[in-house]
Amino acid sequence: MSATHPLIRMRHVGKHFGTFKALNDINLEVTKGERIVVCGPSGSGKSTMIRCINRLEKHDEGQIFIGDIELTDKLRDLNAVRREVGMVFQSFNLFPHMTILKNLMLAQKLVRKTPKAEAREVAMHYLNRVKIPEQADKYPIQLSGGQQQRVAIARALCMKPEVMLFDEPTSALDPEMINEVLDVMIGLAKDGMTMICVTHEMGFARSVADRVIFMDAGEIVEQGTPDTFFSAPENERTKLFLSQILSH
Amino acid sequence: MSFDVTLIFAALPKILMGIGLTFQLLILSGVLGLALAVVLMLMRVSGKWYLSWPAQVYIYVFRGTPILVQIFIVYYGFPQLEFIREGILWPIFRDPFGCAIVALTLNTGAYVSEILRGGVLGVDRGILEAGEALGLNRRQRFTYLTTPIAARLALPAYGNDVISLLKSTALASTITLADMTGIARTIVAQTYAPYEIFISLAIIYMIITFFIQKLMARVERWLGRYTLRTGKT
Amino acid sequence: MDVLSGWWDDFFWGSVVVAQVFLASLVLMVLFGLIGAAAKLSGSRIAHKIANGYTIVFRGTPEILVILLLYFGSAITLTAIAQLFNPDIKFLDVPPFWAGTIAIALIVGGYATETFRGAFLGVKPGSIEAAQALGMSGFQVFIYVRVPEMWRLALPAFGNHMLSLIKNTALISIIGLNETLFVAKQAIGTTGQPFIMYIMVGVIYLGFSSVITLTVMALEHYGNRHMRVTT
Repeated sequence: MSATHPLIRMRHVGKHFGTFKALNDINLEVTKGERIVVCGPSGSGKSTMIRCINRLEKHDEGQIFIGDIELTDKLRDLNAVRREVGMVFQSFNLFPHMTILKNLMLAQKLVRKTPKAEAREVAMHYLNRVKIPEQADKYPIQLSGGQQQRVAIARALCMKPEVMLFDEPTSALDPEMINEVLDVMIGLAKDGMTMICVTHEMGFARSVADRVIFMDAGEIVEQGTPDTFFSAPENERTKLFLSQILSH
Repeated sequence: MSFDVTLIFAALPKILMGIGLTFQLLILSGVLGLALAVVLMLMRVSGKWYLSWPAQVYIYVFRGTPILVQIFIVYYGFPQLEFIREGILWPIFRDPFGCAIVALTLNTGAYVSEILRGGVLGVDRGILEAGEALGLNRRQRFTYLTTPIAARLALPAYGNDVISLLKSTALASTITLADMTGIARTIVAQTYAPYEIFISLAIIYMIITFFIQKLMARVERWLGRYTLRTGKT
Repeated sequence: MDVLSGWWDDFFWGSVVVAQVFLASLVLMVLFGLIGAAAKLSGSRIAHKIANGYTIVFRGTPEILVILLLYFGSAITLTAIAQLFNPDIKFLDVPPFWAGTIAIALIVGGYATETFRGAFLGVKPGSIEAAQALGMSGFQVFIYVRVPEMWRLALPAFGNHMLSLIKNTALISIIGLNETLFVAKQAIGTTGQPFIMYIMVGVIYLGFSSVITLTVMALEHYGNRHMRVTT
């Protein structure tokens, strides 16, 4: 993939749940190294959109391309695509019955077929990166929310993906733990990781994002650089949303 | 009318001679039934209608009819059918022990498969999604994520079913088997002392039940060691 | 199939007996279950211990054993008492219908104790506090808040208890109750066709359990109507 060839392309993507239209004519291109923040009110389709990217949800209309590969039902090796797309969930979703180390090593062994010793090295490397190497042999339940989420980020990083998706990574955390997670994400961004982040943390958006996208009622309403987005939003709906979340 | 304690002491050794048979019935049917239950459960959750439907019908029939009727159908009914009498499995069906094992296995298999299915369905979806997102395929998710977690979730209900199975073994006495209940009934018929004998028998079953529960609690603690914040086993 | 002709009547009346046992034991089972649950929920340590003993005894003992013990035990006692008045009486028994009904009600009642207790504890304290804050009397809170919610929570397990009752009825044939399994034994005596007769019994019981299951499903559907999202 060249520097200008998009990593992710979504063209006229639509999705419904029964009669409810969750996504409507979504068009998005993400190039390598871009940091994108997606914001919007609840039910706007932000999570659905990024979950379509690694096909945790299947889109009904339009096309989605990861690199040159199109996501369709006929795709034979979906997991080859998923290896390259890392995801961090709002509720961490660590494997509760495995130690932290095993959490980080499992997918390496099963999906990338990495030998055990190497997998362990990679795991410890990223555990150090998120600054909690001493938790390696503990179980998830013994860690705080912030620590668990950092482990979740490390777990996704162990697969060395091309792009990272964050689905409201700090929304389930107590306020005092939000920063430790955001710091890790900022560090990733500074190292050039391509990322799409659904979040309400506008401070993070301002400092790290190349592009901010506002979604409402299943559509991309507006997008722009953080400067233009926050200081001079064009659309009425964008202005309404910003006034609601930025007032306190 | 008196309560003859000496009768208990005389009868107890005789009754306990049947404990071997009781345990044989329990363990053999338990193990075979568990294997059957795993197969049925996989059929049920496979998503393929030609596997799921037959499994559902089987479970529906075996959970909807009394186990005593099932035992009688196997023991009294099957020998009536020519293809059973002339089939290679005839030695099993000719023998009351074989019939009891078959009936108990088929019955407990149906119940346990639903318990296992409950465990599988109880696994947090988010965990499976995380596995998907990491690129694990369906079999890998089922082996490394679903199975360990479902086993822990299913264990309490499974423990209850083991105890139900123990109680069902007593029905083997209705097809001439000399398990503890069978022996006890013979003694009562001879001595006209139902209170002494049957109460003793009940106590024996309760003691066995107690030990099974203790065993299950141990297994539960071991399987659930990752749920403790202290990290101790 | 024509071997069954002549026996349809008997199977019908046998089924009626099954239904009668079911209804009688259902009432008793609910009674025993509620009393047991109340005992466990009360502050009294003694009541708690007795209720615990009740559940342990009847959950750890094979059903057939309880039936045999209740029937033969009561028969021996009754005969002994009757012989005090009339030495000629050889054997006086409690009718198998009642010995069996009470036996299975006691057994399933042991399980029902836990079900009712769990359902009672499952009612959200918030709902109760809200009702109390609104000024409702203890009795009103019980009738309008506790009972409906308890019922809804208990329903799935209660459905299983009802299925247990109906299936345990077959065991009462062992002490001579003329329900369907007993009828089948007689039919086999004359026709020599065990397979079809026992299958018939199976079909009858499957019919009963299906009716119960469907009824419970309908009740659950009705009971959860306020919980379903309707968008």
